[in-house]
Amino acid sequence: MKTYIGLWLAAMLMLPAATATAQDPTAGGAGQKPFVEARGNVRPVPLPPGGPPPRMADGKVDLSGVWFQGPTGKANAWSVVPDEPLKQDPIPFQSWAEAKIKGMSRAELELNNPGVACRPVGTPGMWTINYYPHQIITKPGLYVHLIESDNAWSVVHTDGRPHKPADELEPLYNGDQTARWEGDTLVIDTISLDERTWIEANGWFHSDQAHVIERIRRPSMNYLEYQYTIEDPKVLTKPWTSAWRTLSLGSEDLTENFCTNNENADQLKKLTEVESNAK
Amino acid sequence: MRTTIGFVFAALLAAVPASAHHAFAVEFDAKNCSDITGVLTKVDYQNPHAYIYVDAKENGQTVQKTFQLSSTSNLKRGGATLPVMNASVGKEVLVRGCASRNGEDNRYAASFIKLADGTVQRLGQDVEGVFGTKVWR
Repeated sequence: MKTYIGLWLAAMLMLPAATATAQDPTAGGAGQKPFVEARGNVRPVPLPPGGPPPRMADGKVDLSGVWFQGPTGKANAWSVVPDEPLKQDPIPFQSWAEAKIKGMSRAELELNNPGVACRPVGTPGMWTINYYPHQIITKPGLYVHLIESDNAWSVVHTDGRPHKPADELEPLYNGDQTARWEGDTLVIDTISLDERTWIEANGWFHSDQAHVIERIRRPSMNYLEYQYTIEDPKVLTKPWTSAWRTLSLGSEDLTENFCTNNENADQLKKLTEVESNAK
Repeated sequence: MRTTIGFVFAALLAAVPASAHHAFAVEFDAKNCSDITGVLTKVDYQNPHAYIYVDAKENGQTVQKTFQLSSTSNLKRGGATLPVMNASVGKEVLVRGCASRNGEDNRYAASFIKLADGTVQRLGQDVEGVFGTKVWR
């Protein structure tokens, strides 16, 4: 959080100069065309922290709000500044799993990606394979997660109840979920995940033994943070924990986004055939 | 000064998750992009991608060009609402398009359109870096 306050202050001080540079017609560099100014281009301006987070009647932090990826409280898909990958530890894949992922071409990775194929992204894909905003509603004992992407949702009890008995479990895209509060952090525990989901958009598949522990916290009014740990003894050599992702509070409603007209699958199949024939 | 600005933006964006959308650069050729002028005939707003269709003249013949845009979510938030786009139907527009890599002719990813009223409107990913977003996965 301290990092964000510092970044916000730095950005506020630098913003006029930065905007001027972004509009500089020579910004494309010597000998290059100037960048195109188009309506819809976004220059990221982070939100201030906004004060302490709200709390519910039971004293727990209220995570409710519409949340956008990144620090701007708005959609950043058309940012004119390239974003950087999260700084995370290498994923400890077992050698066979790493070989399987590396064996996929870029077109195959796209084609098999649940997000591209319009399949449910599941857990933790609602966070990791989702480029649109989230709406979270928390009430004492309940967590409701709605995402704009394909109008998907998940509802989890936050009273720390146990998972279903083993003989009642079935594979589900969002898995069997239960949650508890650890201080001001909501911890969601998920098992029994359908093997058709991916963990991230990089081809990271999982086994029926995957166990995902997600942590969500709201360090200030305007910011939400998300992290997950995964244990998967059939695919990984050891558990792995992601970096904290930052989301920020938006003032827009979610909009309908059903995935009903997916032409990419056929187009990518054609591409894989073209690439295969070229080999 | 430029170094400082670069540092601030780099620092800001270092904290942003890698929001890799459907990677257009896989499906479309960033080195085969062009400005295509013609009459906007149809706007189809669906997901995961919207499409527009343009009748362009090539050697005296009318050729229908298909352009894949971003999602309706991104388009609406970026100002390219359906009414804004429909206002140019039947009129001449210019679309920046990068050609499909799978051999299908006249199919492109659109990065921006110059609408009939002259507005330059963003429509999709910066496959070739025309907006300054030089890196796309």
